[in-house]
Amino acid sequence: MVYTKKSPALLIIGVIMLAIWGLAESGMLASYIDHLGGKKYKYGGEIATIPLYFGVVATLVGLWQLFGSHKEGHWDYYSSSIAGGMFILLIAMLVRWFIAPEVAVWSMSMGKIGDTGKYIHKLLGLNYVVMGIVTGIIIVNVFRVPSWAENGVRLSRLGLKTGVILLGTLYSAAELKNLGGLSIIMIGFFVLGSVGLVLWLGARRNIPNSMGGVLSAGMGVCGVSATVAAAPVVQAKSVEIAYTIGTILLWGVGCMFIFPIVGHLFDMGPVQFGAWAGTGILNSAQVAGAALAFQPDGIETLKVAEIFNITRVLVLPIIVIWLAVWYVQREGTADTASVNVGRVIFEKFPVFVLGFILMFALSTTGIFAPPNHYKGKYFDNTKVKASKILTDEQIAVLQTNADKVQRDDRKAALARLMEGRKVASIEDDTTLRGLANSKVMGKKAGKILKKAHKAVRHTAKKVKAFRQWITWLFAFGLVGLGMQITIRSMKQAGGQPAVIGGIVGLIKAVASLVVVLLLISETI
Amino acid sequence: MNTVNHVLLASHGTDGALAAERATLKLCTKGAKLHHLIVVPTLWKDMTGDDWLNNGSTRDKYRRYLESELGREVNEHCDRINKEAEAHGLEYTSEIVLGEPDECLIKTSKKAGFDLIVMGSPRPKGKKGLRSRMSTKNLPGSLDTPLLIVPYPNE
Repeated sequence: MVYTKKSPALLIIGVIMLAIWGLAESGMLASYIDHLGGKKYKYGGEIATIPLYFGVVATLVGLWQLFGSHKEGHWDYYSSSIAGGMFILLIAMLVRWFIAPEVAVWSMSMGKIGDTGKYIHKLLGLNYVVMGIVTGIIIVNVFRVPSWAENGVRLSRLGLKTGVILLGTLYSAAELKNLGGLSIIMIGFFVLGSVGLVLWLGARRNIPNSMGGVLSAGMGVCGVSATVAAAPVVQAKSVEIAYTIGTILLWGVGCMFIFPIVGHLFDMGPVQFGAWAGTGILNSAQVAGAALAFQPDGIETLKVAEIFNITRVLVLPIIVIWLAVWYVQREGTADTASVNVGRVIFEKFPVFVLGFILMFALSTTGIFAPPNHYKGKYFDNTKVKASKILTDEQIAVLQTNADKVQRDDRKAALARLMEGRKVASIEDDTTLRGLANSKVMGKKAGKILKKAHKAVRHTAKKVKAFRQWITWLFAFGLVGLGMQITIRSMKQAGGQPAVIGGIVGLIKAVASLVVVLLLISETI
Repeated sequence: MNTVNHVLLASHGTDGALAAERATLKLCTKGAKLHHLIVVPTLWKDMTGDDWLNNGSTRDKYRRYLESELGREVNEHCDRINKEAEAHGLEYTSEIVLGEPDECLIKTSKKAGFDLIVMGSPRPKGKKGLRSRMSTKNLPGSLDTPLLIVPYPNE
């Protein structure tokens, strides 16, 4: 079978991309960009390059696909995915550069909403990520994914996995250790808790073991992905799979919209929200979506949420083994020794996590940024701009509040800062950051300390590029995943899975919110 | 009044379809041909949802499992009707297709000279089962064969 379609679609996509670039370069979009924010419009640099590169590739490959001859083989299969991939990319471009800014303009023209002090698009998280996913959902449900794009839509998984792998470059060792520890505790408690709760509720409501098994994996670990992994192991019936997947998708899509709103209402920070979304949202795809919806212009929340996602997927083989043993014991179909533990772990192990670890290991060698970097930024007090050197007035504020500092190490670091007007060393930077976070010197002095910290922290060029790639890979992946969420699969939510899933999903979301608000601070 | 000699039965094992099966067996004359159409709805293609974490082998294993599970259910269903048809002295054939139920029914109805097409009523709201109701609005204008929609059974 030849997969490459002789369709003009890819050529048209390429021409549209080139047209966007051409209109922007010729200045014909200038008045529209003024309308979208003028100098505040952040995507001018992207429009000047991205549609040109991808437009040229799409046009050339599109011409070859339309007029060339195609034969069966690996190359034909890979080539057939290009049109769909470019289709997703074009949607991501249009949503990020034009549709989401247009919605923001419209939202700001309506003024801030009541006591919240926020514009409606900020409050509802109506940014390019959410709108990209919604566009994907609309396309698949209203128009269906065109046949020429079907193979390429699957590339969205590759986009997300590549995004996670690149994300490995942005963690410091301390950050990974702290976030990893936190996620193991949170995920361990809530995964085991919700798997156990589903099995217990299932037994009380007399549902079949196969249904309890597949539902507990989906509700407890990582949603649809866990359902896919566990269904053959617990020999779930087709209708049980449909009920479970429908319930999880419905919950996941709902959570993706509700979580960011709640996060903003509680004024949560990136660590708190990332931890909550990473624990409370049933489906892993929507965890990334909610994190980017909460913080579309930065990836701090995504970094936290993805550590939780990685922890979940690492837990998945263990849960699958547990369910396999549980199922054969319950059903008495075979000896529990028949569960091949090694094979399950080998088959279910997420290989892309190795890529993430490799990129993290490489980043610690200083290949992308100096090895002492923190959150992608490295310390260098020789590059401090003149405008960032502390002024006499700022030094006076620090001097006035200096007697509030008790610890000797903080006193010494503060003294060196006041003397040199910039942070003296990386050790001092860590100490002063702790001092700022402790808030003992008051608000005004705290702001000055943070300014001094920012002045000696620089983002490495490679890390900056990785950040942009990660943003695009996730935007691309999530638009594509949106195209795989069909209303007819969500409509299958029903039966006992909907009841049990509703109870467990709600308990998990609320309980993890309480834990996060009470126990997790923003200073990890 | 058993006068039907060649009937197309659309049935996939729901309560409504079971009522259609019973009505078909009553309507057919001995020796009549019963062609059984089972449509596997395309919604099953969406049943990997937005999974992105699993590797290819896990997804393939799942797809093969789901296919075999659906295949097993269809085979059980066909075997049951086949036995009942034989008991009534009917000649049984079956056809399994993947697609939209209404489109598949129209297409199959044009393949042979059927006397009658029999199908069950849509499941009333609130009843358990997959939400994959067959759209009947295109059927009257598209079918060349009389269509019997058997009422949903009273419990």
